[in-house]
Amino acid sequence: MTEVDVLDEIKKERVEQLLDFILKKCLWQFHSRAWDRERQNENIVVKTMQILCNEPIKTDTAQDRCYYVDAMYLAENYMKRFPWISEIDKGELKEIMQGLKERLDYLLIKGSLNAELSDPHY
Amino acid sequence: MPYHLFKCSECIPEREKHAVIKGYGETLTDALPLGYLNTIPGSISERGCAYCGAKHVIGTPMKDVIHLSHGPVGCTYDTWQTKRYISDNDNFQLKYTFATDMKEQHIVFGAEKLLKKNIKEAFKAFPEIKRMTIYQTCASALIGDDINAIAEEMMEEMPDIDIFVCNSPGFGGPSQSGGHHKINIAWVNQKVGTFEPEITSDYVINYVGEYNIQGDQEVMQDFFKRMGIQVLSTFTGNGSYDGLRAMHKAHLNVLECARSAEYICNELRVRYGIPRLDIDGFGFEPLSASLRKVAMFFGIEDRADAIIKEETQRWKPELDWYKERLKGKKVCLWPGGSKLWHWANVIHEEMGVEVVSVYTKFGHQGDMEKGISRCEEGALAIDDPNELEGIEAMETLKPDIIFTGKRPGEVAKKIRVPYLNAHAYHNGPWKGFEGWVRFARDVYNGIFSPIHELSLLDISKDEIPTDKGFLTQHLLSDVNLSEEVKNSTVLREYTGDYDALKRIKERKYPEFPRKSGLEGELSAV
Repeated sequence: MTEVDVLDEIKKERVEQLLDFILKKCLWQFHSRAWDRERQNENIVVKTMQILCNEPIKTDTAQDRCYYVDAMYLAENYMKRFPWISEIDKGELKEIMQGLKERLDYLLIKGSLNAELSDPHY
Repeated sequence: MPYHLFKCSECIPEREKHAVIKGYGETLTDALPLGYLNTIPGSISERGCAYCGAKHVIGTPMKDVIHLSHGPVGCTYDTWQTKRYISDNDNFQLKYTFATDMKEQHIVFGAEKLLKKNIKEAFKAFPEIKRMTIYQTCASALIGDDINAIAEEMMEEMPDIDIFVCNSPGFGGPSQSGGHHKINIAWVNQKVGTFEPEITSDYVINYVGEYNIQGDQEVMQDFFKRMGIQVLSTFTGNGSYDGLRAMHKAHLNVLECARSAEYICNELRVRYGIPRLDIDGFGFEPLSASLRKVAMFFGIEDRADAIIKEETQRWKPELDWYKERLKGKKVCLWPGGSKLWHWANVIHEEMGVEVVSVYTKFGHQGDMEKGISRCEEGALAIDDPNELEGIEAMETLKPDIIFTGKRPGEVAKKIRVPYLNAHAYHNGPWKGFEGWVRFARDVYNGIFSPIHELSLLDISKDEIPTDKGFLTQHLLSDVNLSEEVKNSTVLREYTGDYDALKRIKERKYPEFPRKSGLEGELSAV
């Protein structure tokens, strides 16, 4: 294994750790339609990343605040459970969060076997 | 994650795609049970009908309403002790149930006159009640009675009444879930936005998908009130009809049972811009997180933190007493819908039990995604099981207890597996911190019941020992415990009252000064 492969493996493992926490402890990723899952994944993962990277977060609408509270729960637990988050640089953390978002989108939208996701009505 | 075909279902090969074993290293994209489909012919389902899902699950928990079924009298059977969604108005909706009592002559000549007569009689018998729901049944749907027209006519004739019509006949979907859907959409279409409520707080929520089973809603409402949050409506346990007409005025929809009520939350988000926050009211950690999230939405998380600290200090030593004794016990988590994911992870983490199987009678694939994600590897996940599959699973998995409804529960008892009623509970409420300890106590009592021990002897064939004394629960549960745990001065059994709601009903709530201008800000999306 080259050094790059090792780093890739570590990154993958970290994405899986973050993902496992979401799947076991959260509900926001399981909305019933594909477009809602896309919206939830995008907003909550991005806001979590912003909290972890100390970046400004938009909370001026009710919907934004709703994303924010789920993101804050996630960020607080990530910090508590995964010490490596505070040890890596922000660029690396953003890559991992992007990997997390892609993995969520695949498992729960693009690769999902849930036939109800494309139903046009609620 | 291989699909699983039960031996008893080999003659119904379509059943294979309805069961999955959660495999190591596999994901939801490898296999997912089919769900929310018509039951396969030959498979005797444990499901209810779409009328039942609309009326008996969602409609009837509304407390200040005459609930009238337009159909044969048998359709309205579920009352009193078969349902346990209590209310704080002396359980009016449980004590009284109404049916138009359709007979053959009405099928032939129509039953609209009969319906009108029944509406008048019911309001006359209960003059203090001014609200009514009417439920279509298979019989009235098939003959085409225009219930909406009759309701309109009656509301014109009696201006102080209001009537909601739910057209969800028993055949209107593969299971009770079809009825959940229909009544959600009917309510938001017909009634939301037709009542202007009094707003008493800067922080206003709808609490959605909560049915006040043995007082769950009152427990959760207590937490919200202690934080100064107004629960404008509860959909629908212990909820009032007019409160639910005013759902459009809330700042946030707090959603508990997404299976039965996500539809109305989605519609309220699209039509009125009210966001949907999914929560878990069961278990110390998920409940703490949920209270904190709701509070954080309004910027009052310090109020949630104070409650969480107080409740955890009071009840955690009792939860842990049970956890020590339940560790490693095998559980089949076989509820109707949402509890398979509400409980799958937290009963493992906080009670120490192993979930060896999850199933859902009427869940959709989304529920299975949640349930499979939250349970441990090796668990068997089953959609819409039949009775023989349930028996085969119990014989194979050998659970120490199952959590399910009363019909499969009775089957379990016959093969000497104890069960707890996951729908109506045993000694609830089970929500809240104290409630979660009560649930743990019920699990403990179920597994270590001396009577259950005795039932393992079959008097028709087993020799009954006469040299052994009666074993108490403690003798059974503590046999392998360390001395440290047995003699712990920290851990203790449940010490709450028989009636867990009494203390809540007597509570005086703090008054929080209101801020001006917040309402507009919170409504802006």
